[in-house]
Amino acid sequence: MSRHSFLKSTVRGFAQAVSKALQSEHATTQKGLLQQLDPRVRVIGVFALVVSVILCRRLEAIAAIFLIAIALAVASRVRLGLLAKRVWLVVLGFSGVIALPALFLTPGEPLFTAPALHLSISMQGVRTAAFLILRVETAATLTTVLVLSTAWTHILKALRSLHLPAEVVTMLAMTHRYLFLLIETANQMFESRQSRAVGIVSGSAQRKMTARTAGVLLSKSIELSHEVYLAMLSRGFRGEVRLLTDFRLRPRDYVALTAFVFTSCMAAWIGR
Amino acid sequence: MPSTFAVQDISFSYEAIPAIRGLTLCIEEGDRVALLGANGSGKSTLLRILDALYFPSAGSVTFKGDALTHEHLQQEEFSLSFRRRVALVFQNPDVQLFNPTVFDEVAYGPLQMQWSKEDVVRRVDETLSFMSISHLRERPPYRLSGGEKKRVALASVLVLNPDVLLLDEPTATLDPKSQSQVVDLIQQWKGTAKTVITATHQLEIVEDIADRVFVLEAGTVMAEGSPSEILSNSDLLLRANLIHAHRHSHGGVMHSHPHSHGHSQHEHEH
Amino acid sequence: MHIPDGYLSPSTCAAFYLLAGSGWYAALKRIKQLLATRAIPLISVFAAFSFVVMMFNVPLPGGTTGHAVGIGVAAIVLGPWGSILAISIAIAIQALFFGDGGITTLGANCFNMAIVGSLTAYAVYRMVAANSNLNSRRRVLAAAVAGYVAINASALITAVELGIQPMLFHDAGGTPLYAPYSLHVAIPAMMIGHLTFAGLAEAVISAGMVSYLQRADVALLRGVSGLAHAPVPVIAGASADRSSGRLWWAVALLLLFTPIGILAAGTAWGEWSSADLMNPHTREQIGAASGNHVLPASVPVGIQKLSALWTAPFPGYAPRFVKNPLFGYLLSAMFGVGFLVLAPLFARVIARKRAMRSIGS
Repeated sequence: MSRHSFLKSTVRGFAQAVSKALQSEHATTQKGLLQQLDPRVRVIGVFALVVSVILCRRLEAIAAIFLIAIALAVASRVRLGLLAKRVWLVVLGFSGVIALPALFLTPGEPLFTAPALHLSISMQGVRTAAFLILRVETAATLTTVLVLSTAWTHILKALRSLHLPAEVVTMLAMTHRYLFLLIETANQMFESRQSRAVGIVSGSAQRKMTARTAGVLLSKSIELSHEVYLAMLSRGFRGEVRLLTDFRLRPRDYVALTAFVFTSCMAAWIGR
Repeated sequence: MPSTFAVQDISFSYEAIPAIRGLTLCIEEGDRVALLGANGSGKSTLLRILDALYFPSAGSVTFKGDALTHEHLQQEEFSLSFRRRVALVFQNPDVQLFNPTVFDEVAYGPLQMQWSKEDVVRRVDETLSFMSISHLRERPPYRLSGGEKKRVALASVLVLNPDVLLLDEPTATLDPKSQSQVVDLIQQWKGTAKTVITATHQLEIVEDIADRVFVLEAGTVMAEGSPSEILSNSDLLLRANLIHAHRHSHGGVMHSHPHSHGHSQHEHEH
Repeated sequence: MHIPDGYLSPSTCAAFYLLAGSGWYAALKRIKQLLATRAIPLISVFAAFSFVVMMFNVPLPGGTTGHAVGIGVAAIVLGPWGSILAISIAIAIQALFFGDGGITTLGANCFNMAIVGSLTAYAVYRMVAANSNLNSRRRVLAAAVAGYVAINASALITAVELGIQPMLFHDAGGTPLYAPYSLHVAIPAMMIGHLTFAGLAEAVISAGMVSYLQRADVALLRGVSGLAHAPVPVIAGASADRSSGRLWWAVALLLLFTPIGILAAGTAWGEWSSADLMNPHTREQIGAASGNHVLPASVPVGIQKLSALWTAPFPGYAPRFVKNPLFGYLLSAMFGVGFLVLAPLFARVIARKRAMRSIGS
């Protein structure tokens, strides 16, 4: 491993975040099922399904919602390969590893005992691991399908018309807007440092450099926020946030909303 | 009729660092003015004082006879009417584009003015097509080029049809094509009642964008005149740090002549 | 430290949404008073900054790297209320835009990192820094301690939330329905990583940034009021101390809930010790609690190994109760609380001694 791998992996992280954002933006322009619905219906529908995922106490019911999530993805032209890469494998790598020791640590009827290791897998252990992984996979698939089918501005406007305070919606919007600017700024700093960092050997010098980069970024951020504030004032901002939301529910939105809520309730009831 | 801006002996400092010292000037309706100065001469600060974003610590500023003070800007009625009539385009378009999409950006001003929803949408669409950026309507600002950002920033203030336009280095950091588009736009306002005040250090655009020039140096007005008067006075430009004596040798003979750096810009970090 | 959807039960999620919601409400109200119309751009850009800092790979002693959350810096520069909002917004963007984190667990995640983290970081920083000069080394130390303690307080709260799941939410067969590990597994598993890598990364970033700001942009260290170009808040010492005192009480109360909850539950479900499983009487109890499932005749080796982990530092002649995992849990909770309270006090005492010495010389 190179001495400056921490710089490289940070820069790689930035690139990943940006490409993820572009991926989502591209996916939202597809003409699929979810894309045709009012964003509020999409947001409420997916939230309802995610809640039903955590309400269910039966594996079969959660598995059924997982299938619904896949069907939604296909109908909304979200590529399953993308889901596998962005969600399924990532979840398996994280929650799968977390769930593994539960096979042995959960008290219950032994299902299988490895004779040499004195380790036994319990029935309860297998079930609890299955619950965890299935739940996390299903919920994450649903959220990602929403993110990949709905433009960020539409999610924001949906949240606003669902009565999230206007200030909060504005802060979410503005954070997202300046996130990319700051990622770009930080990226430039790290890249120029990568070439200059050749002589830096000691760990403490590396730490100092990282903290300094963060410090420069902070100064720039505060300066930026001050300038943005002036730009807002200049255009008539007086502390009151005014947003334009122009969604109109069509018949198919009502149908979809009913379907979402009905499915979620059914799943939660069957899986109770 | 009172002047559009009457600035009387104002001073302003950031923390302890003075930026404007005893500056006086007067700008009439329909004037096309250039504030010419090097970096740090105080021209950006002056624009912000004219836009009532900063308030001077001494002296007075009036807009069409109304005092521009912090207290006066607290009054909603005056504040909204002033903000509608006077617009500032910031040098850094990233500062000005703080909304999620181009449409939201251009709609921001009208929404603050509490126009009806229909008026907002109609006026925004008109402005977008006037600036030929209708195709960017749903684009987030981080996916715009430098020239596109500038046009959106201009659209976001023109949507209110302001009487006074304050432009801070409108052509700096732009490619030549976008630069000439911005200059063309300013030229269109010649002979209208619109007052255009442009802060710049680029000598080559001055004649196109202004009929009057104020040369700023160390926070005060160093000279005033027509573009041809100012631009022909190389001694003045030298003292204002807008050009510098450039020494080099031709065939073994050292000589020096004034030299302008129109596109000079630099970035630094602490 | 983000808890994904599926790890917490619906009632836990709802409870933490409620807690976080009241925190957000209070913070929004306070920040509007403090910053008036400047709040929105400042908090937003700062949230974006926090998000970017969370992506930094921080090189740690020993050649590894870790990620910081940036709670320490947020609390120092924005104050506790601004920090609560900025970190919450950053977490919400992760969940809502990138689909990372969780929707149902958003309340809990914000509570753990943004609210507990910010309040702890601010209180510790104010305590350790006291009225020292903005340029002093002590401020750098204070930032390091604040970041370290805050991240560990957040981790502890997170571990407790995860650890109570199997005890409270399991099916008739004894299968935990959400996070599967009880407190005596969740707490050490969570804390080991945070007491070392994550805590260190946070300390490094907090201290490094404060030391940078001291040289480059000292106005930012004046806290939220400094951003409004107000004088250094040393003169406001009395009122600031009182408010940080109030914050301390809040933090202390939060942490107190942890052990009390367990003590009240008695032999809590999922908290059996190896001895419990061997004892015929408690075996009956557990069996009843688990829907009369037949319990294995022998202790699952995993539990035995785990309790060995706990009792390892104690010599063989230690009293019997030490072998109990519940004790292990209490010990770690007490350690957490104790550390949280003692570290800054300790630092204060040291600082005072040093001040005395400098006066004496």
